[in-house]
Amino acid sequence: MTSELLDANGTIPVFAGTHVPQLRLPSSVRLEVMQTNGHEPTPATFVETEIISNDEIAPEHYLMRVRSEALANGEPGQFGVIRPGAATDVHPILPRPMAAYRYDRDAGTADFVYRVVGYGTAAMAQRRAGDIVEIVGPVGRPFPIADTTNGILIVGRGIGVCSLTTLVDEANRRNIEIYAVFSARNKNVVLGKDIIKKARGNALYVDDVDGSSDVGNVEPWISEIIDSGRVQQAYVCGSNRLIELTTRLAAPADVETYVSLEAHMACGLGYCHSCATGAFGESAESPLVCRDGPVFRCHPAGVTV
Amino acid sequence: MAVQDTETDSRLGVDLGAGLTLKNPVMPASGCFGPEMGTLFDLGQLGALVPKTIFYGERAGNPAPRTAESPAGMLNSIGIPSRGVEHFLTELLPEYTKYDSPVIVSIGGLGIEEYDRLAERLNGEPGVAGLEVNISCPNLEAGGMEIGASPANVERVVRGVSDRFDGPVIAKLTPNITNIADIAQASEQGGATAISAINTLSGMVIDVDNQRTVTGTMTGGVSGPAIRPIAVRMVWQVCAAVSLPVVGIGGITSAKDALEFILAGATAVAVGTANFTRPTTMLDVIEGLKTYVETHHLNSIIDVRGQLEEGMRVAIEPPRPATPVAGRAD
Repeated sequence: MTSELLDANGTIPVFAGTHVPQLRLPSSVRLEVMQTNGHEPTPATFVETEIISNDEIAPEHYLMRVRSEALANGEPGQFGVIRPGAATDVHPILPRPMAAYRYDRDAGTADFVYRVVGYGTAAMAQRRAGDIVEIVGPVGRPFPIADTTNGILIVGRGIGVCSLTTLVDEANRRNIEIYAVFSARNKNVVLGKDIIKKARGNALYVDDVDGSSDVGNVEPWISEIIDSGRVQQAYVCGSNRLIELTTRLAAPADVETYVSLEAHMACGLGYCHSCATGAFGESAESPLVCRDGPVFRCHPAGVTV
Repeated sequence: MAVQDTETDSRLGVDLGAGLTLKNPVMPASGCFGPEMGTLFDLGQLGALVPKTIFYGERAGNPAPRTAESPAGMLNSIGIPSRGVEHFLTELLPEYTKYDSPVIVSIGGLGIEEYDRLAERLNGEPGVAGLEVNISCPNLEAGGMEIGASPANVERVVRGVSDRFDGPVIAKLTPNITNIADIAQASEQGGATAISAINTLSGMVIDVDNQRTVTGTMTGGVSGPAIRPIAVRMVWQVCAAVSLPVVGIGGITSAKDALEFILAGATAVAVGTANFTRPTTMLDVIEGLKTYVETHHLNSIIDVRGQLEEGMRVAIEPPRPATPVAGRAD
């Protein structure tokens, strides 16, 4: 899957993030909608399914495992819109978009990791094994990994790491070398270490408490990997500073950078138009995070693509 | 778990007038539905399909954030992005007509003339079973409210559409007015063959930590179960005020909710916000209505339409009765 400059209607789906209140991306980065080029993402289904487990794996962070063949067959970076199956008259009325953390195709299960930030995720955290959840998924355009790629760089922060872990498994399956920077507020909430370890990836774990997550500390590590020529594609989620840094370092080396975005959404499929990336004063509907993303290609601003 | 298909039950068939008959009274509310839902279940099971409102030309919609949750509901300020009528006819309509359900096309405008142009353009187009005239969006920079809240403008818009479109014309009413009966009667005078009510209630939600509204346009339209009692009351008023079939809309999540509207006088119902909550809600409603006709031994769901038991109940403000409409055969 490669990206193209024009969509089917001839408009240029390239946009900057800074003037878009919903995205608040760094001004140095422009995004591009990926063309599917005939590779249609795995289609969504509606599943009412059983929770196998729903446990706190780090402070405020829960891992929910659900049984579903359809979800287990999702692709890296795809997500589900998930609602605890309960009365429809009460909160939460809307499902919450959550990236798949892990797929287990043999067991027919999918894992989602979420941080409790409001009443929707708080309600989710109260669900127990055996309870029912309602999920529309898998949805969204997945992270592309080119056939010619033999090394990838994965850069995530906070809960954003959980959009990238399915990439680690996929890369491992394809014998692609993995280099990762996982950043968090403190060491207790650095997620995904077990997945990196299992994939024998090379990882730098950094946090704010000891200051190791400073861009100045991360930059030499990323620079070295990119300059070594061992990675051809880079994937980022969860931090504007890391999106900016990775895009800036990767572009001169022709390493493609991709970002997964999050946005408020209601349907997850594209018909509610909640998650538009557009800004004031535009004349046509802008790309939607759910349908045209959540994965977009990153370019340095000022570069004509 | 796979979604169970529902079987057609002739007892659920309803007539929305002007030749628009539905196999069951359940349809999506415009804006809360799209062909994308076709990956989840067979859309041909629905009584009708109602795409998102289209405008004549292309428009972008409103700045983000566009939606937020509110108590037992949600606030939206999508602003109706539209690719325009030509894109609709060539790209979107075929995505709907492949299902075995009539397509009711929702049309919008920033001014009266835009409705005229749309009606003219859509007249005679195969696959367009009827029009729903959206004169009630609270999120437009122009047109929505000053048309929908003015009986004279509503009558003018509906007449313009009825004169140009040879088929069912459903007027979709706003609740953001003093007396919805005025607007309903103006629609009837203008030649509407049915009415749908209600659209969203204008509202506002503020994030106190950020000291900002949660939607990019400050205000938005409130929908969901929170507005259902208001919607049922307004549908009751509309049904008393006009002799037209009514599509009841507002916070429906179940067959029981749908039956509230039918008992208040609605002939059909539309499901909006609940499609986001649970995309198969409309199938649940259809199944629940089948159970209801079964357990109440009805020949038709229409047997309970408007059948509110009024003994031991007093209307504080009785709804305004219908007045004869000039030019109507009856």
